[in-house]
Amino acid sequence: MKYITTVNGQEFEVEILDEHRVAVNGEVYAVDIAAVSGRPLYSLLANNHSFEGYVYAEEGLWQVLMGGTLYEALVEDEQLRRLRLAGGGGGKERGPFLLKAPMPGLVVAVPVTKGQEVKKGDVLVVLESMKMQNELKSGKDGKVEKVKVEVGQTVDQGQVMISVV
Amino acid sequence: MFNKVLIANRGEIAVRVIRACRELGLQTVAVYSDADRNALHVRYADEAYYIGPPPARDSYLRMDKLLEIAKKSGAGAIHPGYGFLAERAEFSQACEDEGIVFIGPKPHAIATMGDKAMARATVTAAGVPVVPGTEGEGTLTDDELLALAPKIGFPLLIKAVAGGGGKGMREARSLEEMPALLRSARQEAEAAFGDGNVYLEKLIEGARHIEIQVLADTHGNVIHLGERECSIQRRHQKLFEESPSPFVGQDEAFRQKMGMVAVRAAQAVDYVSAGTIEFLVDKDKNFYFLEMNTRLQVEHPITEYVTGVDIVKEQIRIARGRPLSYTQEQIAMHGWAMEARINAEDPYNNFMPSIGRIDHTLLPTGPGVRVDTGVYSGFEITPYYDSLISKLIVWGETRGHAIQRMRRALEEYKIVGVRTTIPFHQNLLKQSRFIAGSFDTRFVEERFSMEEADAMRETYPEIAAILATLVAHQETLRAAHVIRSAKRDTSNWKWYSRWERIHR
Repeated sequence: MKYITTVNGQEFEVEILDEHRVAVNGEVYAVDIAAVSGRPLYSLLANNHSFEGYVYAEEGLWQVLMGGTLYEALVEDEQLRRLRLAGGGGGKERGPFLLKAPMPGLVVAVPVTKGQEVKKGDVLVVLESMKMQNELKSGKDGKVEKVKVEVGQTVDQGQVMISVV
Repeated sequence: MFNKVLIANRGEIAVRVIRACRELGLQTVAVYSDADRNALHVRYADEAYYIGPPPARDSYLRMDKLLEIAKKSGAGAIHPGYGFLAERAEFSQACEDEGIVFIGPKPHAIATMGDKAMARATVTAAGVPVVPGTEGEGTLTDDELLALAPKIGFPLLIKAVAGGGGKGMREARSLEEMPALLRSARQEAEAAFGDGNVYLEKLIEGARHIEIQVLADTHGNVIHLGERECSIQRRHQKLFEESPSPFVGQDEAFRQKMGMVAVRAAQAVDYVSAGTIEFLVDKDKNFYFLEMNTRLQVEHPITEYVTGVDIVKEQIRIARGRPLSYTQEQIAMHGWAMEARINAEDPYNNFMPSIGRIDHTLLPTGPGVRVDTGVYSGFEITPYYDSLISKLIVWGETRGHAIQRMRRALEEYKIVGVRTTIPFHQNLLKQSRFIAGSFDTRFVEERFSMEEADAMRETYPEIAAILATLVAHQETLRAAHVIRSAKRDTSNWKWYSRWERIHR
């Protein structure tokens, strides 16, 4: 099985030859992977060099935290990749951006109002949780469509607070 | 004399205090909210009492309930830990009124040091230098501030009273540019905090945050245990501490000078128990009083490592009316200690708190490593309390050895289930400025980024590619397997009995 894996912008052709051999850009590695105490912590032996990393999926990407460094990896098989390239890719910025509460907390500030133009990265809500004030930012350029929370309100995890179109 | 102690706290610090009590042969009483029934402090204590719903104001901040439980359980003393009620003068007073020993300072010492203006006035009178400025002087108009500015001297900082995170903060280099800066600072503070009040403070360039641990007993003995370097911070939250400070290093005269000033500051409020005097130190070794923390500090273990003094046990000893176990002459610092605060925060996402269940944790062990934590595998991190879940403390003969040991311990430390600040510390320990010991309080916010730090390190993208691909591949196979197993040719009942046999 052949995959194209893009790590921090660098493309690798990764071919799984059999259970214990993987070719990366044609170079064959003897590998052994084991989940440590269940996922997502993995021990990988590559040519008998021992590595350990957390591997978890987030927003369609694989996050690999290894030796204190975070790698973002996009893993695609050849078919998927053809589909994505044909579709023009990057559909992420289309459609409304829904700002959801990443954790339960108290809304301490909403520096935007309905109808306001915002840029990607602008602060939409300041949420207090774990005794910290956290700035939650817009994921896209656009106009604030709905403001569903007000200052002083508590929100649950996953609750939609603001939408940007 | 008490022999049962109620610990009015939770998390790692409650565990720390319980350990000291047990080693001293004292009985321990824990309290817990609904969120903490399974917490370690409840499991380690001799007795535990339910105190209320998760929000702190309904549980760990309920003085009435704490005192009631102390009486019911027969605890003769209360240790407040840090945070919660540790620096509330009225709690110290309430304990005193109820005839319960408060393991900490007297109410008037907490009250005096808790009030910025009073604290500054009190220590100034005792000959302790303070950062020139108008903090704690109440609401001042622009005209008043402009009149005071030349007396403070330039450069100076305009800071928001309600401030934090640099919002509403401006650096002024001359009187001419001040009116415009005042206006923008007030606007920004108003927008961020709903409070446009600002104060002025002399800008200490290249300032370091260095603090002195003091111990004071009820017999008038006050000693200091040397300094802690706490300049590695973000939004005024300390992240990493070490003792000694690389800036003080071998300069014993400077250490003793700061130490004696700290002792004077403590004496100025008739201080009793363990406390910390925080100083801002400039590049010319001038130091200014910032504030006194009238409690046990999060970072106390590094001082314990280098001095050999068990600070919590000394606190208990002092509370029992005994004299200190040490004189100033008996205190010496050996080697180097460091503490990395492991917070449930994502350093790759602006230190956003991370909640969830700790699925797995593997603690670093071996020579020179200490871990103070209140969590374990299966423990749930809730949004109700602060994000500190563990403190990793190491000791080495020299600063270099301590850095190497900290790196090794961070590599070993595995916490699965929530994001933690472990990668931040790993990156910090590779920074050449950090290794050289040349950093100030702005280092993390202005000269450090996780992405840049990651980019500087030796990386293994092809190994990351292998890992990600193998895991993705396994996931795909697993998903395919689920779909295929739905198309069984035998009847479901037959299949079920087979399945049962396999799993028996």
